[in-house]
Amino acid sequence: MGTIVVPGEVLERFNGRSDNVFFDGNKAYSKVLGIYDSERGMLTPLEGLWYPRMGDTVIGIVEEDKFNIYTVYLNAPYKGIAMSKFIEEPLAAGDIIEAVIKDIDRTKTAVLTRVRKLNGGKIISVKPSKIPRIMGHGDTMIKQLVQGTKCTLVVGLNGVIWISGGNYDLAAEAIFKIVEEAHTPGLTERVKELLEGKK
Amino acid sequence: MSGGTDKPELIVNGKRLDGRDMGDLRAVKIEAGTLKNADGSAYIEWGNNKILAAVYGPKEALPKHIADPERAVIRCRYSMAPFSSLEEHGRSGPNRRAIEISKVTKEVFEKVVVLEDFPGSKIDLFIEVLQSDGGTRAAGITAAAVAFASSGIPMLDLPYAVSVGKIGEHVVLDLNKIEDNYSDADMPVALGPRLNEVLLLQMDGSMSRQDISKGLEMVTRAGSVISQVQKAALKEPYEKVSSRYR
Amino acid sequence: MTIRKAMVGYVESMVKKGLREDGRGFMNYRDICINTGKIPNAEGSAEVDIGYTKVLAGVKVGTGEPMKDKPDEGNLLTSAELLPLASEEYDVGPPSPEAIELARVVDRGIRAAGVIDTKSLFIEEGKVWEIFIDIYVLNYDGNLFDAGTIAASAALASARMPKYENGEVIREGNLGRLKTGNVVTSCTFAKLGSAVLLDPDGNEETAMDGRLTVANDENAVRAMQKGLSGSFSFGEIDKAIELSFERSKDLRKMIKNSAGE
Repeated sequence: MGTIVVPGEVLERFNGRSDNVFFDGNKAYSKVLGIYDSERGMLTPLEGLWYPRMGDTVIGIVEEDKFNIYTVYLNAPYKGIAMSKFIEEPLAAGDIIEAVIKDIDRTKTAVLTRVRKLNGGKIISVKPSKIPRIMGHGDTMIKQLVQGTKCTLVVGLNGVIWISGGNYDLAAEAIFKIVEEAHTPGLTERVKELLEGKK
Repeated sequence: MSGGTDKPELIVNGKRLDGRDMGDLRAVKIEAGTLKNADGSAYIEWGNNKILAAVYGPKEALPKHIADPERAVIRCRYSMAPFSSLEEHGRSGPNRRAIEISKVTKEVFEKVVVLEDFPGSKIDLFIEVLQSDGGTRAAGITAAAVAFASSGIPMLDLPYAVSVGKIGEHVVLDLNKIEDNYSDADMPVALGPRLNEVLLLQMDGSMSRQDISKGLEMVTRAGSVISQVQKAALKEPYEKVSSRYR
Repeated sequence: MTIRKAMVGYVESMVKKGLREDGRGFMNYRDICINTGKIPNAEGSAEVDIGYTKVLAGVKVGTGEPMKDKPDEGNLLTSAELLPLASEEYDVGPPSPEAIELARVVDRGIRAAGVIDTKSLFIEEGKVWEIFIDIYVLNYDGNLFDAGTIAASAALASARMPKYENGEVIREGNLGRLKTGNVVTSCTFAKLGSAVLLDPDGNEETAMDGRLTVANDENAVRAMQKGLSGSFSFGEIDKAIELSFERSKDLRKMIKNSAGE
């Protein structure tokens, strides 16, 4: 547990390192709206953006095919690119893909690899800061979602989730519950109850 | 500000027309996350002002020539609804006054938003005044700070703004429309509470060096109240959910 | 590229199966909520939510000169703004053709239904009342036509009327209501493949081929507008009109309740 802090608020007893914290003199301050656990000196952002990192799994939408390079919309200020020669299936504008970031170039464009087209299915976007909670510790939450809804779920760290088959409505309801209640304890148990229809 | 011939008496028996003392703030209410599509948003009611602020981004900077390879660029549009004032129907779209306010508002956020985290991108800030009653730029900046923070964009401070002015001999806080129309001076100020420095300062009218210093003190005092309202608005949606499971 | 555009295929495949994304029937509205009087500075105002679509209509009453060809009638002027804060797809700048179409369709319904008797807005020779209706789109999720018409109707039905005394407009104090003679509403349908859907949301509008708006009061159809390149059959138009009369009963009731009639 902890207390909610806003940008510019002092973090007493903070002694680690975090992209979401800055120092002025010998004091630490939060850059974001987050939950601060002063006992453990830990700040968890409630709202946060996604910065592309090597190895991130993402879901994107093909924007255009230009000279054998696909440009991909990633729900972020930076685009992805994928070489068509490394992709088995030809892609078209509007196609939804899953991919892994192989490299990030100088202009912060993400070079994509292991590109896979996602057919059918629906995508929803959530704040990227909620993705870790949707996955859960050791993927417990996402496994529970798949089991409870019989949906195929692909989760992009860029805040895009692809849902196919199974009980879409239940999956979406559970995901929005996780997003809204991400900062509360006992969530795994409540999502389990929702999926089992006990509410 | 105009010294009209039929200038009303703005201070009667030591009280202002709406019953406030010289250093009193109007009631301020803020709601965070009002607009579904925006990445961050806030709705503020400040006295009779009603204002929406929304943040979109960071996103790809288009057209390309506006992009800065070192940092994100902020675009700001402050605008007033043509039905926002009690008087005649206004013209739609930003006029010269609105364009100036957009510029100085943008500059407030260029100081506190961590723009270096998003090189080459742009962040849009839109402020729509739905109902105006004096002090809309200050209320707009106060709401915009909440919209920014609710979007998750990193910031070094959570700025607020309020105006002070002069009515006769008195330095007064937070002028409403009628006071603004007939006051002797108006000075909107935005402060970063952590930095404790001035991020926006405009002045128009006649004030002494002492008046200005007194005015800035009033701003700081009111600021602690405004900051609390901003923080409460940001925390409220989360605390509401938490309280269900306590 | 936006997520909405990537959802076109999904929306189409759902509709083919006879389903809508949010589980609604093809001829059902989303939840509608009308709030009048949000902007006391305006003579009339109404905020309308249809699902996540949020529209605010403001009514201002002023004085001006009559049109040259109608010297004994007041003026009614309707505008619409697709505010950039309502959607990442809207941009700053002068009104787009979409905004102008929205304003004109709402205006035609109100004018043709005689909601405002412009002859009653005559003050004296060369001076008439002017009614300004501004439709402010605050959050976009489809069906702005119905939200705009409902908001304008509710704002007019709840508006107060200033007085004109000794050459001055009196806007405060004891004022009566703006005189309105009728209530008009509209129903908008999306054509998606061979299906017709009432009240399209943002994803459905991105996927739709054609759009049909029918504005009516109790007695007659008062305005229509077909939009986009998709086409409608005679039968589909007839059915849309029938449904529009049916659905408008509830909408009129909601507007009258919201205006405190």
